[in-house]
Amino acid sequence: MLQIKNVTKKFGRKRVLDGVSFTANKGEITCLIGINGVGKTTIMKAILGLTPINGGEILIDGEKLTKSTYEKLTFIPDALAMLPNFTIMQAMDFMADFYDSWNQDRADDLLRFFKLNEEDRISTLSKGNTAKVNLLLGLSQDTDYVLMDEPFSGIDIFSREQIANVFTSHLIEDRGVIVTTHEINDIEHLIDKVVVLNNGSVYKEFNAEDMRINEGKSVVDVLREVYIP
Amino acid sequence: MSFLINNREPVYLQVVRYFKEQIATGKLTGGQEIPSRRELASLLKINPNTAQKAYKEMEEHGLIYTERNFPSRITTDENVLSSVREELIQEAVDAFILAVKPIQVPVDELVDIVKKNYLAEKE
Repeated sequence: MLQIKNVTKKFGRKRVLDGVSFTANKGEITCLIGINGVGKTTIMKAILGLTPINGGEILIDGEKLTKSTYEKLTFIPDALAMLPNFTIMQAMDFMADFYDSWNQDRADDLLRFFKLNEEDRISTLSKGNTAKVNLLLGLSQDTDYVLMDEPFSGIDIFSREQIANVFTSHLIEDRGVIVTTHEINDIEHLIDKVVVLNNGSVYKEFNAEDMRINEGKSVVDVLREVYIP
Repeated sequence: MSFLINNREPVYLQVVRYFKEQIATGKLTGGQEIPSRRELASLLKINPNTAQKAYKEMEEHGLIYTERNFPSRITTDENVLSSVREELIQEAVDAFILAVKPIQVPVDELVDIVKKNYLAEKE
């Protein structure tokens, strides 16, 4: 379990995160939604230790971030960071050299799943296929938690569909996933938990299916109440 | 595979109804093996935990059964299987009556219209 406890983060005098608390479980997909676009990426970076926090704590399976807990995490940024003249195969080789957790079987599985050709050069790929390669390189690491920053942004509907299919497939297995997105309607029936951030704190944290069971509301219904009070 | 999700209704109940429809129409038969929870999630494009919840619900109602380390199967209990069909018909008729009641159509006229339109629909 990832526990984010009362985390505060300031940029200068501005509090970007003001006492943020939520949890993300293994075997569940947790979706982070920011009302005014602030805070989501900062939380991800804080979990990964890429940005220092000013207060609170973040625990990974009950422990603070160390080298060994860091190895339980994979971060998939919103854009592919890889040399454009590499082929997909070279990119995979590069990752395999770099990460002990690299799992080539899963990478091959993902290549087939996304119908990608490993001979293709990254610079020649469409936006949709670039996003798929980005996901492939992240998901092929055997880690317990995967953090995905906006995996659906700026790509066509069919690529979004294919990426959404990953969430329901064996490729995620029983890992814990934290995903940020604006395209909530693409995945609202695929996620377990929703964490809504507003003005630097958690406005609401709920299980999507429980919301449907108890209140007959979709995730979008709940968000609409926040956007249009 | 036709499975459209209504985002306001519990997805696990939609899955249970989907299975009941398959049973009522004979697409799934008693004793037939059903997909694993992960396979079902992929197939219907739903959350795997929701697929699990649907299976638990169906197991509790005796619609499916699982023997240790084997895939789950549709029940072979004929009483349960035939009651599924009755239940679906009853539910649909109840919903229809509820919708048509405010119009206050005499029942004979209604039955005639239903008969005519239902047969036309079938062709």
